[in-house]
Amino acid sequence: MARTLTFKQGFHDGLPIFIGYFPTALAFGLVCRDLGLRAWHAILFSVTNFAGSGQFLAASLMGSGALLAELFISVLLINMRYVFMGAELSRKLDPAIRGWQRPFIAFGTTDEVFSVAVLNGEMLTASYLFGLEGTSYLGWVGGTATGFLIGMILPSLLQLAVGVTLYALFTVLLTQQVRQKGVKALAIAALSGGLHTLLSTRLAVPVGWSFVISMLTATFVGAALIDEEAGL
Amino acid sequence: MSPMIPILISSLATIIVRLLPYYATWLERLPPFLAKSLRLLPIAALGPLIFPGVIIDYPGRWWAGLAGIAVASLFAWRKNGMVIPVLLSIVTTWAALAL
Repeated sequence: MARTLTFKQGFHDGLPIFIGYFPTALAFGLVCRDLGLRAWHAILFSVTNFAGSGQFLAASLMGSGALLAELFISVLLINMRYVFMGAELSRKLDPAIRGWQRPFIAFGTTDEVFSVAVLNGEMLTASYLFGLEGTSYLGWVGGTATGFLIGMILPSLLQLAVGVTLYALFTVLLTQQVRQKGVKALAIAALSGGLHTLLSTRLAVPVGWSFVISMLTATFVGAALIDEEAGL
Repeated sequence: MSPMIPILISSLATIIVRLLPYYATWLERLPPFLAKSLRLLPIAALGPLIFPGVIIDYPGRWWAGLAGIAVASLFAWRKNGMVIPVLLSIVTTWAALAL
């Protein structure tokens, strides 16, 4: 008989996520400081979004003066993967989970939470998910606040270097995709990255739209050229 | 404009996609081409998240960020985990800026 997943187990499984989120969120706190935001804005960002790449994207769009519509669509698209994760996760939920608990569980679903929860292979209880998501959430929000605060004492050269965290994080994600799915993943990312560079720096397309256009073009080109059997 | 507005707009966009699968069952019946596209979307997002930002964030030292992500990529290729590649990239970029 399968054991019932507890809050404690969720907390335990969430600790590695906490450790991974903390430095990333630290970098986000530094980015917010560079943007001229106040500490409580940075914290509000992480409290209400809880989404790594979405937040970095939103922050960089705010920095470049993008329109709210550009921001909304870009963040929506970059977070679109959560639709699939949520669909998968919702199938594994304990039927005893109440209606009011579901939106909270949905809000706390990040890439890492999703992977850990789904790989568990057992029926997911509300207490387990609250433990798992709560621990991850603390790492994210705590890291953001800490990053903003240590921004005051970090030498400016080091602050500038910490800014590379964001790109390193996306590079690691891309490397993992290429490792799993082959060079086609790299080709798709190279196409979208090249297009975005061209459109935003040479052709003066506003950053938010350039981002959306590049991402969608590379997606559809990739979908048209790659057959399902390739495993992508 | 207060920064609160874009922050909350971004939050709204995030919450919508997270809640959608719990309440919209039509998502399970998307045409195959769209379903495939949606799976590729996160990969396509990574390119513009890295470029051109990683270059233009370091004016005068355009290679500093590139050196950082090259090191991150090398280490990520060999092992799982994010913390070490990310820390190494910070050190590399720091060194590139300080040289």
